[in-house]
Order: sequence, then C-alpha cells, then structure tokens
Amino acid sequence: MTLTLSEAGQHAVAGTFGRAMKRAGEALGSMSGQVIDVQTPMVQRCSASDVMAMAGGPESVVLAVYVGITGSLQGHALLLFSPADAHRLAQILLAGLLGPGELPMEESTNVLDYDELELSALQEAGNVTISAFLNELGMHLHEPVMPTPPQVVIEMAGAVLDAVLLDLVSDADQVLAAKTTFSEGGRDIDGSLFVLPRADSLRVLLDALGAIGI
Amino acid sequence: MTLTESPSLLIAGIGEMVLSSSPDSHLVAYGLGSCIAVAAWDPRAKVGGLAHFMLPSGPANESSPVKFIDTGLDTFLKAFQAKGAMISRSTFKAAGAAAMLMVGGGLAIGKRNAESMEAALKERGISLTATALGGNAGRTVQLEVGDGRFLIKSLSSMVEL
Repeated sequence: MTLTLSEAGQHAVAGTFGRAMKRAGEALGSMSGQVIDVQTPMVQRCSASDVMAMAGGPESVVLAVYVGITGSLQGHALLLFSPADAHRLAQILLAGLLGPGELPMEESTNVLDYDELELSALQEAGNVTISAFLNELGMHLHEPVMPTPPQVVIEMAGAVLDAVLLDLVSDADQVLAAKTTFSEGGRDIDGSLFVLPRADSLRVLLDALGAIGI
Repeated sequence: MTLTESPSLLIAGIGEMVLSSSPDSHLVAYGLGSCIAVAAWDPRAKVGGLAHFMLPSGPANESSPVKFIDTGLDTFLKAFQAKGAMISRSTFKAAGAAAMLMVGGGLAIGKRNAESMEAALKERGISLTATALGGNAGRTVQLEVGDGRFLIKSLSSMVEL
C-alpha cells in the first residue's frame, strides 16, 4: 500500500524525525565525549537514484552501520561515514574505552582496513545513535519501535543502499528519506544518518501525531 | 533512460538502461549490491547495452524502464535491437545479485534476482556466457562498446568477464 503524504503530514513527520535525530546526535556525542553538531534534517520524498545521490553517489565508499526498524513503525536506518572519518571516530571511541595509554596508535596504510576493535566500536556507535533515535520516536508513537542487531559494512554506498531501497520500492516509485549530518569540528568527523520508513507503516506515526488526513 | 549517441561514459542508474552503437562508449552501472546488471553486446554491429535491474517482478514502469526483470527485460532487448543489434549473434553477461545486508530478516533478494534473470533469459532462448553473481561484495560494472569487454570492479579486485 502506498500512503500519499500531504505537505502538512510530511511537515509533521519531519518535525518528529528532527527531534529524534537530535537525540541520536546527542547520544553519539555522549558516547564519544565530543560535541556533535546536528544539522536540521532534510526530509523528502525521492526516487531511489535521489537517495543514492544524498549518500554521495553510488560509487562513493562508506563505512555503514545498518539497523532495521521493527515494531509499530518499520523501515531502515543507516549511519554512514567516509572511511577516513570512521577511523578517526573509532580512535576517539577506543581512547575513551581503553584509556590513553592503551590506545592502538598504529595507523593502517589502507584506509579500508579496520581491526576488530574498531569495527566493534563503530558498530556500537551506530547502535547507540540509532537506538536513541528510535527511543525518541517511540515516545511520540506511544508504542515501542525496536532495532534489529546492527550490521557494519565497508562498501560502495550504492551496494549498501540498494538492498534497503529494494525493500521499499517494490510497490512505490518514491521513498520518504530523512537525512541529517553530524559533525565534530575539532577532529573533522562528519557522518550522516539516514532513516527510510516503510510507507505503509507511516500511518501509525501520522495517527500518533494527529496528522492523519491533513 | 539514455539513448543518446554521445561518446564516452553513459551511466545506468538504478532501474535504468543505457545503449550505444558508438565504439568509444563505456557503459557503466555503479555500486551494484543486490541489484543485477545485464550487459548485451553485438560484436558485428558493435552495439552494446547495459541494464541495471532492481527486482524480479512488478508492473511496467516508465520512469525506471528496467526496474523489474519480468516487465523490463523485453523493453531492454527491444531497445538493444532498435540500435541495430541482433540477439542471436550477441553475447549476454550478468553481474551483481550479492547479499549485502540482512534486510527484513533475509538475504534472499539478490539470489531471487539472479534466478529470475536466468529464467527470464532462458525463456527467450538467451544464455549468459559469463557471470559474476552472488557473494557479499558490491560491484561496479563497465561494458566497453568497442570490444565487448565487461569489467567488474569491487573494493578489493577488478576482473574482466
């Protein structure tokens, strides 16, 4: 089923997603001990190609943490970093966990090489960030929204996104995509959070927001 | 959909196809995950086509002509023939259909795409001469219209089919 979202409905969804994305940024900030600046999210209906473009193009290489969204709202969430930024974030997270003396300082020559500790730290960062988003959303819905276990992959953005898009576009040409950018200015780390809800489950959110039919 | 004769790089975005009879054309589909790309090349007419399919079945779609294999394959084959290619003397190769993420509790969409494509081609009397299907790595593919080379790039390797 395709739900046609009015401009006002889209605005209501954007407001709620915006608050939830702010919480997600705060959670990442508190985990990393850094001040994270969260941009006002962009929420728009777009084609599969547009989503690829929003992620920097299908050929751009990303480290992605994927979390599926289940429960009263269904869909997909992805936290994306460039490989170099992901390394910097992993180093900060591990320094916080291990203490300064134990930080593995060895820099790999290949930016696509991550050790298990780094991957695990980044996976947890994705988990914490996206769970904070879902907790905030659950409060608005008055119903629980659950994450699936996080998966971390280093791949071309197109390859990461197409599985998600294929799940959404079988009966629709457009998807609702929400994106925000997180940045930590001092260490030069930028990441983006994508949330792509299933159209048929948006009705639950609109109902909860009192925005159905507008 | 791009049907221009402009030289060099022609890109098949997700659900799109590109065709060319210009020998200096490179037809590219970037970042295939579970999607499947089919490259068709007629060595005599020097015509190439590349289609970036998304899913096994669904209704014909104007904005994404090769979104679905069951309704899009004939659209692609007709456009390939319209460029002067003959199906019987052409080679067909396919790549993609990987399993990237557990989405919606399963990894099956890539596999279903590969099976649907092989079945749909077989129904039309076409067999694939080379494939790079499955696995769990993303692929960028490129068909060289001048000589029919089909290049498959992943983050860790580049091979020619």
